[in-house]
Amino acid sequence: MASDTLTSTAGRAGGSGSGEGPGRRRPLSPRAALTALAVLLSVISVLPVLWMLTSSFKTRETVTDGRLIPTDFTVDNFVYVFTEVPFARYLWNSFFISAVITIAALFFHSMAAYALARLRFPGREKLFGAIFATLLVTAPVVLIPLFMVARELGLLDSYAGLVIPAIFNAFGIFLLRQFYLGLPKELEEAAVIDGCGHWRVYWNIVLPMSRPILSALAIFFFLANWNAFVWPLVATNDQDLTVVQLGIASFQTQYTSNWNYILAAATVAALPMLILFFVFQRQIVESIKTSGIK
Amino acid sequence: MSSVAAKERRAAAATAEAPVSTRGPGLSRRHREWLAAALFLAPDVLGLLVFVAVPMVLSIALSFFQVSGFGSYEWIGLGNYERMMNDPLFWDSMKITGLYVVILVPVLFCVSLGLGLLVKQKLPGMGVYRTALFLPYVISLVVVGVLWKFLLDEQTGAVNRAMRAAGLDGESWLGSPSLALGCVIAVMVWVMMGYYMIIFLSGLQEIPKEYYEAAKLDGAGPWTQFRSITWPLLRPTSFFVLMMSTVAAITGGLDLIFVLTNGGPANGTSLAIFYIYQQAFGFGEYGYASAMGSFLVLIMVAVSAVIFKFTRGGRFDDGE
Amino acid sequence: MLQHGNDAGQPAPAPSPAGASRRRFLTAMAGTGAAVAAPALLTGCGTARAKGGNLQFWNFYGPQRSPDPAINAQSKWFTDMVGKWNATHARQIDLVYLPQPTYLNGFKLPSAFATGEGPDIFMLSPGDFLRYYNGGVLEDLTPYMEKAAVDDFGSALDSRKVGDKVYALPMEVEPLAMFYSQQLWEKAGLSEADIPTTWDQMLDIGDKLGSRTTAGLVFETNPGYYQNFTWYPWMWQGGGDVLDERGDVAFDSKATRQALALWQDAVRHGIAPRTVPAAGDVIGGFKGGNVGMWQQGIWNVSSFKAFAPDYPYGVFRLPTPPGGDYVTALGGWSFCANAQGRDPEAAAEFCVWALGSMEDESVDRMVDWCVGAKSDVAPRATALERGAAKGGYDSEVMRKFKDEIFPGGRAEPRYPPVVYKAISDAIQGTMLAGRGVGSEIERATRSIEAYTKSYKGASLI
Repeated sequence: MASDTLTSTAGRAGGSGSGEGPGRRRPLSPRAALTALAVLLSVISVLPVLWMLTSSFKTRETVTDGRLIPTDFTVDNFVYVFTEVPFARYLWNSFFISAVITIAALFFHSMAAYALARLRFPGREKLFGAIFATLLVTAPVVLIPLFMVARELGLLDSYAGLVIPAIFNAFGIFLLRQFYLGLPKELEEAAVIDGCGHWRVYWNIVLPMSRPILSALAIFFFLANWNAFVWPLVATNDQDLTVVQLGIASFQTQYTSNWNYILAAATVAALPMLILFFVFQRQIVESIKTSGIK
Repeated sequence: MSSVAAKERRAAAATAEAPVSTRGPGLSRRHREWLAAALFLAPDVLGLLVFVAVPMVLSIALSFFQVSGFGSYEWIGLGNYERMMNDPLFWDSMKITGLYVVILVPVLFCVSLGLGLLVKQKLPGMGVYRTALFLPYVISLVVVGVLWKFLLDEQTGAVNRAMRAAGLDGESWLGSPSLALGCVIAVMVWVMMGYYMIIFLSGLQEIPKEYYEAAKLDGAGPWTQFRSITWPLLRPTSFFVLMMSTVAAITGGLDLIFVLTNGGPANGTSLAIFYIYQQAFGFGEYGYASAMGSFLVLIMVAVSAVIFKFTRGGRFDDGE
Repeated sequence: MLQHGNDAGQPAPAPSPAGASRRRFLTAMAGTGAAVAAPALLTGCGTARAKGGNLQFWNFYGPQRSPDPAINAQSKWFTDMVGKWNATHARQIDLVYLPQPTYLNGFKLPSAFATGEGPDIFMLSPGDFLRYYNGGVLEDLTPYMEKAAVDDFGSALDSRKVGDKVYALPMEVEPLAMFYSQQLWEKAGLSEADIPTTWDQMLDIGDKLGSRTTAGLVFETNPGYYQNFTWYPWMWQGGGDVLDERGDVAFDSKATRQALALWQDAVRHGIAPRTVPAAGDVIGGFKGGNVGMWQQGIWNVSSFKAFAPDYPYGVFRLPTPPGGDYVTALGGWSFCANAQGRDPEAAAEFCVWALGSMEDESVDRMVDWCVGAKSDVAPRATALERGAAKGGYDSEVMRKFKDEIFPGGRAEPRYPPVVYKAISDAIQGTMLAGRGVGSEIERATRSIEAYTKSYKGASLI
């Protein structure tokens, strides 16, 4: 596998015509060229984030000095972020809300997707089309009516108001359905012959089998909700319900911007996701692959 | 919510456990399947109805009213739609959206596909490269906006400092309309490329390697291999990426625009979605904004219907 | 949904103009059959009226904590004020802090009002006055004020009045001037005598002060009410205006053209930057040596004092065009009461108690704000006197603001969103997209004319 795929694209990228393995005659082998390219692109990709991280350790005077490595290293910005502003509270709010949404959403979406993929009932395709169509409803357009709905249900200014409207999203249903369509039919048939009902098939067979895609979606739902900004802004006034993205917004005032503090806050907001990503990256990468198609 | 779910679970379990003996004449089994499907679907369908469909219908209803922003409504029929037709700023924003989508989607597609092909290679340290390339995706658009505003600053930003160090004049990245739109697109590509890269990677890894071996025996070069094997077999993935990124391009990015450019300079980054947002929440023109929003949704439905048709109802069964 | 349908069937609370039109809306909705759920949802509007509880005071100062000691002092001024009210009045007030960008550019306030969840007391800028007044949410404060207090405010109330009635009370007056770096000034071989009094001199000096990393002359670049506010003086100086005294559109004039051309030329010749330095951080921009001159407001004086007390800077009056007269724009926020809130009477009483009564306490509070917590010109004559007596205007910069810069001031106009947007597009289009001044003015004029023709509401000027 290694060699054929290597040459199939090495030629394109490296520009060396003959696909006869790594050509030693040339000063730069395609393999080395590809590695160099990968390194270069990786640096370009990561550098801005790195810049944010290191700049958050600079003082107000040096924060715009254009150097990657701080000359006056300080952790005051972070001390400030955690002591003067209830950032710990913001982090907890974001964590709690994202976690609850993720769990509820995965449960409901997998149930719905299972029905759409594996059960036969009249109007199935139409229903799926309708659900799929909700992907096209744009959030800014429905924000005011959504606000009205949330108010009527008594959801404003509460954790419930941050959680419940965010659960329902056709994207998860769509991806899970794709996954369930690809499961072998025999599994269910065997189970049905064994006398299992649909719930048992779902709970005992389908759910365990979908662990990889569920863990992928879990990461993404968590990520998306951690990063959400607009709805929490509209749905809450209570300072105790402030989520971390709103916390960053409160760092900006109209006439001055303290980049050192803002970047420290931004780092604090981004760090949990970066850590999550580093810890679970194998699962993430493996499972986006599963979730992508089939 | 959770108690409802629990009830359904019990109900579903009950129907599931009753069965075998009453299996009988098939009809009841079919009905049982219908019932199970209904229960399985109930929470999500209800939720989507209340939190997506009802607001959408409400929003369409609002588009026929002049709304003062203080709770008074006046029926004006198609007045908002007429205003939309004659509003040069709306059509400017549609043009900018068109330009944005037409540039962003193909660029993102090519970059992600290129990266997918690259990270499929077995190279030393490939895990690190994949990580690095995916990393920007996990950062929120609010943070991304703050970060790039900092980096692209005309006088003190790192980008211009680097350019000056290289003997070039700095640019006012966010200060001229076309450059600013370019920056928004570039930042979006930077954020999203890792995600689509992984999608492409998974598509690429599903192509049986025997095809390439056979092609090589026939003396096909890398380009021929790409054209005759990779490209056609990757078609389902490509459609998926195209569809996702188009929808995301038309409706997304509001947080980023809000933080990075606020629609400026000179409305140069005022995408339709931003203009709608501005009319609604900046100026209290909820009725008018609803009309434009409904129009945008209509366009999205049309665009998606085309892509949906190509992808055969969202099923990516076969590429050939 | 059904349950909410039942709610809608209950007798409606006290009818109001908004309620009546809402019913029309609902009837029409039922007629179209557009949405079954809509009536139940929309009748919820205005429920704040029926709600009890503490009055909500939305502001962008406090309570909060900031790296800027000046901002902390401002926050304390708010919490002290509300604390004092709560200690002496039965109707309690909660201070609700919203970050400034959220308050200014965000949709928090409009969406809260649109859904009947608006605050009882809030801060209002001139640019928003008409929208809220025409929406019927501003409580008339006149019955709660003494005549002497209204006179004490004088012309500072003009843009907050409709007819003889006062609908908002300004807490501050904020004139615009040109701030400059004395360091760069000296480095360029300039002296006090070189302080520009004409536009041409200003551009020349901006050119001298500028370099690749230093913006010689800075005008606001971000589109918004604030940018319009900073641009108006340049138009006014040549005798131009958006609407004349009869309310007719007068935007197409020589003065408007030269004002747009001034900003366009400054940007085109690289004298003024296309984006504000240090992302709008005035103190940081000056201290970092990235700015020569910056058109800014008086509020920066307190920030300089807090952050860079030793930094040498100066201020001067905005230069004028040939044949023009000196004018600057006066900004500043005001308190107002929500006429559809929980208790409009108490809210109005609070606004007057805080800023507009003849009691010493009320005047001193304004003095504390304008020369203590912040650096502003006080909108009341008595407060300005007391502030001066307290030494609040003794420093060179504050003296200049009070005696030279402020006297030629004109209040920020209260144009509604459509007019604001037309002007903003003209400024942005000429300044940053290099479009023709003439065509942009024509376009703006057309759109303002179309709007004023159909406009119904309080006077625009």
